[in-house]
Amino acid sequence: MRFNLIDTVLEQSPDRIVAIKQVSLAEEYLADHFPTFPVLPGVLMVETMVQAARILLSDRGDTRLVLGEIKGLKFGSFVRPGETLAVDVTVTGSEDGTYQCRGKGRVLRHGRDGPDETAVSGRFTMRPIRRALPSS
Amino acid sequence: MPESAVLTQDEILEKTREILMEALVLDADEIKPDSSLTADLQAESIDFLDIVFRLEKTFSTEAKPFKIEPGELFPDNLLENPEWVQEGKLTDAGMDMLKERMPHVDFSAFDQDRNVDKVAANITVASLVTFIDRKLSA
Amino acid sequence: MRWMWIDQIVELVPGQRMVAIKNVSLAEEHLHDHFAADGELDALPVYPASLLIEGMAQTAGILVGAARDFKEKVILAKIMRAVLDCDVFPGQTIRYEASIENLDTAGAATKGVVSRTEAASGQWDLIGHIDLLFSHADQAMSGVDVPEHNFVFGENLKIILQSAGLSAAVGAKH
Repeated sequence: MRFNLIDTVLEQSPDRIVAIKQVSLAEEYLADHFPTFPVLPGVLMVETMVQAARILLSDRGDTRLVLGEIKGLKFGSFVRPGETLAVDVTVTGSEDGTYQCRGKGRVLRHGRDGPDETAVSGRFTMRPIRRALPSS
Repeated sequence: MPESAVLTQDEILEKTREILMEALVLDADEIKPDSSLTADLQAESIDFLDIVFRLEKTFSTEAKPFKIEPGELFPDNLLENPEWVQEGKLTDAGMDMLKERMPHVDFSAFDQDRNVDKVAANITVASLVTFIDRKLSA
Repeated sequence: MRWMWIDQIVELVPGQRMVAIKNVSLAEEHLHDHFAADGELDALPVYPASLLIEGMAQTAGILVGAARDFKEKVILAKIMRAVLDCDVFPGQTIRYEASIENLDTAGAATKGVVSRTEAASGQWDLIGHIDLLFSHADQAMSGVDVPEHNFVFGENLKIILQSAGLSAAVGAKH
């Protein structure tokens, strides 16, 4: 599968980014997740937030930060083909090239009544790529 | 601590606070005895499952497992019983049921409101401590 | 492509523990985007952490599902904690070890560790741990529109279990 999940960046400021990922039946993995009930996998919601954070943090030097840690990340509503995941990620702190982030993803449903719902929310940390375990 | 020693309410509060810090990703000072789990601490139903599992693990001993049955901490499927809920509000029978099934929660203020969506908001950190204390002493 | 992020189940103690492995190969298309060459930077294929978490979720999810004969719709509801101390690269193999911490009608909590090895080195390094919370969709998610049939454990799973020689161990009654 192609692995660039961000379709459009809607807003960006030094500490915050809002971006969307469209979900479409054209995406092959949906055939397996799940047959007869295609939904965006929860980890791809996480990956969307991670990629948004990577774009946000690329101005600070390292353009290839990766996910290092997650805390208390919850999944809510499903995101179905034809719907859009809108992620909102904020950098809350940084320490030695590692960045703490808080993210939330809402489901946007076009042409349908009802409030947008939360698909994912939680905290995560971005860090540089590590080839080996830190020695200590 | 010997397994037969009874925990004080303060000790229960401390262990409960640690559990809530982990489950809800909060700092210690954000968790007060009168904090509502849902209204103040933003706990959702999946967090309740997380909290129940952690409580079971923390308060179980070899001699006495601490098992919380489904619906024991918070009654499930409230909406499905028309005796208890009519048009989104708790009936008198419903209020009696809540007080009986959840003696650890103070529903006196809720009596004016009775909105079924707001039942969970009445569960505070203090009512969790009371629930644990009662169960440990039973 | 298939949404299957484990290759083999190597050990299963029903109701308790499961170990699975995943080979990481340059043949995987997504590694060519993660990361592609960019300006002065060469391409740098690194296994995405999100897919590593999915591997653990599939390992733990099958373990939890098997504990109730695959009758429940086991859905990943919360990543309680995930820590990855270093990354994984093509040519390496990942090992997921998951165990059930708690299981009841509403769902299950699992603990897991992730290890990594270079092919033919024979040495595994512990590189992370991932603790997950699953809900049994029908029991715990009232109000969410979920199909009646078990869409979580379907034909694909049977194939993976059969190829692992584990259909008998997990009953394969579904």
